Amino acid sequence: MISAAGPTAAELRGPAGEAGLAAPGTLRALWTRFQHDRLATAALALLGLIVLICIAAPLTSPHDPLATEAVNRLAPPGSPGHLLGTDGEGRDMLSRLIWGGRTSLVTGVAPVLIGLLVGGLLGLVAGYYGGLTRTVILRAVDVLFAFPAVLLAIGIAVTLGPGTSHVIIALAVVLVPSVARVTESATISACSQEYIEAAKASGVHDASIVLYQLVSNVASAPLAYCFSIIGPVIVFAAGLNFLGLGIQPPDPEWGSMLYGLQSSLLVAPLTSIVPGIPIALAALLLDVIGNAVRDVLDPRLA
Amino acid sequence: MLSYAARRVVLLVPVLLGATVVVFVLIHLIPGDPAGALLGPTSSDAARAALRANLGLDQPLPVQYGKWLWQVVHLDLGTSIARRQPVASIVWEAFQHTLVLAAMAAVLANVVGLFLGIIAATRQFGIADRSAMGVAALGTAVPSYWLGLILVVLLALKVQLFPTGGMTSAIDGGSPGDILWHLVLPAVAAGAAPAGIVARTVRASVLEVLRLDFVQALRARGLSESTILFHHILPNALPAILTVMGLQAGYLLGGVAFVEVVFSWPGIGNLLFLSIGQRDYPVILGVMLFVSFVFVLLNLAVDLMHAALDPRVRTSVTG
Repeated sequence: MISAAGPTAAELRGPAGEAGLAAPGTLRALWTRFQHDRLATAALALLGLIVLICIAAPLTSPHDPLATEAVNRLAPPGSPGHLLGTDGEGRDMLSRLIWGGRTSLVTGVAPVLIGLLVGGLLGLVAGYYGGLTRTVILRAVDVLFAFPAVLLAIGIAVTLGPGTSHVIIALAVVLVPSVARVTESATISACSQEYIEAAKASGVHDASIVLYQLVSNVASAPLAYCFSIIGPVIVFAAGLNFLGLGIQPPDPEWGSMLYGLQSSLLVAPLTSIVPGIPIALAALLLDVIGNAVRDVLDPRLA
Repeated sequence: MLSYAARRVVLLVPVLLGATVVVFVLIHLIPGDPAGALLGPTSSDAARAALRANLGLDQPLPVQYGKWLWQVVHLDLGTSIARRQPVASIVWEAFQHTLVLAAMAAVLANVVGLFLGIIAATRQFGIADRSAMGVAALGTAVPSYWLGLILVVLLALKVQLFPTGGMTSAIDGGSPGDILWHLVLPAVAAGAAPAGIVARTVRASVLEVLRLDFVQALRARGLSESTILFHHILPNALPAILTVMGLQAGYLLGGVAFVEVVFSWPGIGNLLFLSIGQRDYPVILGVMLFVSFVFVLLNLAVDLMHAALDPRVRTSVTG
């Protein structure tokens, strides 16, 4: 699939990282196998629908998420005009969930992407160069592992101050170490393969070996890992917003909506619990999809 | 084993020093004057000048770090802005509450996880396996803070079986029964996710051993399935299972934070939450420093236990 001397034409055409995972034909075969898992296919469709509804918030949201209706506070789900009821300020819950979903999904997915890029690069460099470079990187990673993830993220987000981007940075810092470790061990085992030695012997640049040979062969491990943590990270990110970090009221976000309604638990228990449903649902769907993807990629586990 | 343990303890020193560097960097990331941030907005100029001199803020960063580290080594974590008390004693008090809750949640998670995992593995692909893994998936996906709120609505508000919170001090005062009564809901909420992860690990580890030839040989000799499971399969699967259990216990030290807020449990998570609102930076950083030390020691204990159970681990010290 990949020649020792350099990238093939097919490899340059394909997106970086996926080229070594599977050729286009193999990808199609994997997709066919994925579709055999009906539960996972349904989960993927439902998740896609949720994401689309959130992206198209200006079109799908029935009301203005910030418009208050003083006479119609804490309406229960199913009230006329308010499918999921209203919150303590009389704002439409469904509209707030749809708009808030944008923030919640971005705060959950962006740190994983940043963590994949930064952690992946650190892991590649550590595994490829070895020696002092590897020791320095792995020691730095060990230091970040010295904190429970939840506390480290809270600490960083607090010192940076409120704001969605600060929560994203905090979560990314927490994710980098584990991605770096996964990538590093995958790189070490890939580096022991003969084609890397052949490339080195034929005088290919370090940079082009890493870019064209290693990335495509190592990518599957960190990609699979990162995919498996998107769900938990969405829960984690909403949790930080639940604690009052990140987005500030009145802007909607699933976690902060849940916190805002906590004081209404006694008066309107059903409405107060609604914002947790999309968080749990997104995590559950991603879990089902993730398990199916893992079974497809590694049938021995199924 | 002893030399392995000694090497691991020595490797701990740079990690702990690194953790202090991280917290020191965070102090300097706070926008504005660190002395102002550490003393609070109502502090006098004289007090800020005194702290600035004390921390050596006009001196190079390494000197500042040295001075600060010297204080930390002497268990001086500064003074809380909101409570005007030493941070070290506030953190210690809260940590004991967190420890009680995390321990309870860990016991619950491990017992339930072990039970579900064994059931699933011994009936692979059966209805029991599917239901057990479905429960595990739900447990890991449902946010602990949301599960906490649901439990409050169902069992505290509707049925009034358990209290919604109101645990003031579990360390002194309060009978064990009273503490346990307050603990049930928060422990279930916090333990659900680790229970799911333990269940999956137990299932995978038991299945891995089940596939080995010696199990076939034991069956051929006519041993009962339960004897094979409890005397042969579980002991072989145990090192991996115990390691994940230990890691989950470590996760809970931070992970119970969300649940503590929901139930106003007076632990470090709730302390952090209150301190965020009050911009009480000394407490926030003190919590991080203290918990990181406990976390590192706990992880060391897990690694040493794994090495004691599985000699192969000892030969491969992480590079």
